[in-house]
Amino acid sequence: MTIVAALLVPGSPLPQVARDNPPWGALADALEAAGAALAKAAPDTLVIYSTQWLAVLDELWLTRARMQGEHVDDNWHEYGALPYDIRIDTQLTQAIVAATPAVGVRSKGVDYDGFPLDTGTIVASNFLNPDGRAALAVAANNLYHDWQTTEQLGRVAAQQAQALGRRIAVVGVGGLSGSFFRHGIDIATDHIANPQEDAWNRRMLSLLEQGDVTAFRAACPDYAREARVDMGFKHCAFVMGALDWRVGGATVHGYGPLYGAGGAVLEFNLT
Amino acid sequence: MGKGEIVAGYLAPHPPHLVYGENPPQNEPRSQGGWEPLRWAYERARKTLDELKPDVLLVHSPHWITQQGHHFLGVPHLTGKSVDPIFPNLFRYQFELNVDVELAQACAEEGARLGLTTKMMRNPKFRVDYGTITTLHMMRPQWDIPVVGISANNSPYYLSTREGLEEMDILGRATRAAIEASGRRAVLLASNTLCHYHFHEEPEPPEDMSKEHPENMAGYLWDMRIIDLLRQGRVKETFELLPKFIDEAFAEVKSGAFTWMFSAMGYPELAGELHGYGTVIGTGNAVMEWNLVKAGLARAA
Repeated sequence: MTIVAALLVPGSPLPQVARDNPPWGALADALEAAGAALAKAAPDTLVIYSTQWLAVLDELWLTRARMQGEHVDDNWHEYGALPYDIRIDTQLTQAIVAATPAVGVRSKGVDYDGFPLDTGTIVASNFLNPDGRAALAVAANNLYHDWQTTEQLGRVAAQQAQALGRRIAVVGVGGLSGSFFRHGIDIATDHIANPQEDAWNRRMLSLLEQGDVTAFRAACPDYAREARVDMGFKHCAFVMGALDWRVGGATVHGYGPLYGAGGAVLEFNLT
Repeated sequence: MGKGEIVAGYLAPHPPHLVYGENPPQNEPRSQGGWEPLRWAYERARKTLDELKPDVLLVHSPHWITQQGHHFLGVPHLTGKSVDPIFPNLFRYQFELNVDVELAQACAEEGARLGLTTKMMRNPKFRVDYGTITTLHMMRPQWDIPVVGISANNSPYYLSTREGLEEMDILGRATRAAIEASGRRAVLLASNTLCHYHFHEEPEPPEDMSKEHPENMAGYLWDMRIIDLLRQGRVKETFELLPKFIDEAFAEVKSGAFTWMFSAMGYPELAGELHGYGTVIGTGNAVMEWNLVKAGLARAA
């Protein structure tokens, strides 16, 4: 089996940098639970698509063999720096870069000292791969790619992993509902900012928990629009493209607020 | 301490291609040049900036995006390597800059007093964004004038354009009040492109100017219309048109720097001096100056 696990996780730094705050600590616990499940699946490589790594020209993929350093989030700088130390599966990534033109997407590798990894990739890597056992293949979110194109990219990544005999976990990094608090709040009372969006999030998570993937799939466009989902929910498109929608639902390890926006840790049940 | 004042404002866009084309020692990649008309426009702007002898440069950058409030660089000395996440092949720049933390703090406090959420960025490991660095490099490559760096709160995108730009107007008024109280001679830099439609593939080499032209004619015409109004000093009319310009030309002025700068200057009906216009991967970029000393609205050094 090529794909041994598939996850959706939030990319906010708050669960990592401020886990002592109960609403965010609960998501940190969920991320650790997902990380433990992932360790059991023992993937060779995590194939990550992060909504926070923005691209506008071509599709970008990390191709630097090792990246270490500290990253300070543009918005949450007061909480300190996020350390990171990641290995890139350069062979798989180069194969993906070479393969995407077949689906109409020109890709480029990114291999530069000091390249700014995005917060979401770092947070996902730190929680899901804390010992660095797995290598990573990381894709940017090209702002001009739609849902279908992003699905195609996930599919190409899975095909190339299969061709190379890799055991991969596919990880979509991004948020759920997008309304957030713009001003200071008592963080201990953080909650989903918009009740209608909260209802949407819960409905979608419930559909996956019940295994009704058909209804989940049909609802994605409306959900993305009406709940202001992070980047149109394209992180889900990438994962589902890789899985070719062959999932039997999902386990929700956690759901909660991230300064008013929605975040969930989902582990898909593979079929 | 005398009353501080704004001595000039510049529209100073930030395509990293301009730094790449110039080949300064701070930037790793090497080029064969390119985008000369825009780089020569910046040469003219550098001269007038030098004559103004400012104490501080304030820059509002759309590539430091914040969701909770308007943030200000608040570390006295920042250094590091800034790699553009979009164009890492063109911009890998060793920066070192001094921040006027006192003025930054005053701007933040004035903003809060006027009802904005503001925050000081005090993390010494913070990586300054390429928009801030490109604008500052192109205006003052000596890096010998302290700066105030201001984030682009994403309110024009999260809220409506009108609501977001109203916040930028308040931010401008707060900036002006802080400058006046500081005794500083200040220059404002609005780090914004005009029409922001761009090509989706990069030529090889990137500085192949045979491939450089406006991405579309409608956007070019919009840029000329706006520049022409600004050259005539028809600022009120420009701001009446701004929402339509933003919508139809996908103009980057939506992110707020342009409104912030004009609000701080009090929207003077003053003819702007166009130092030059050019496209970068199809986007429209104008380097323009509003010199309040020449206009008799501020004192000479």
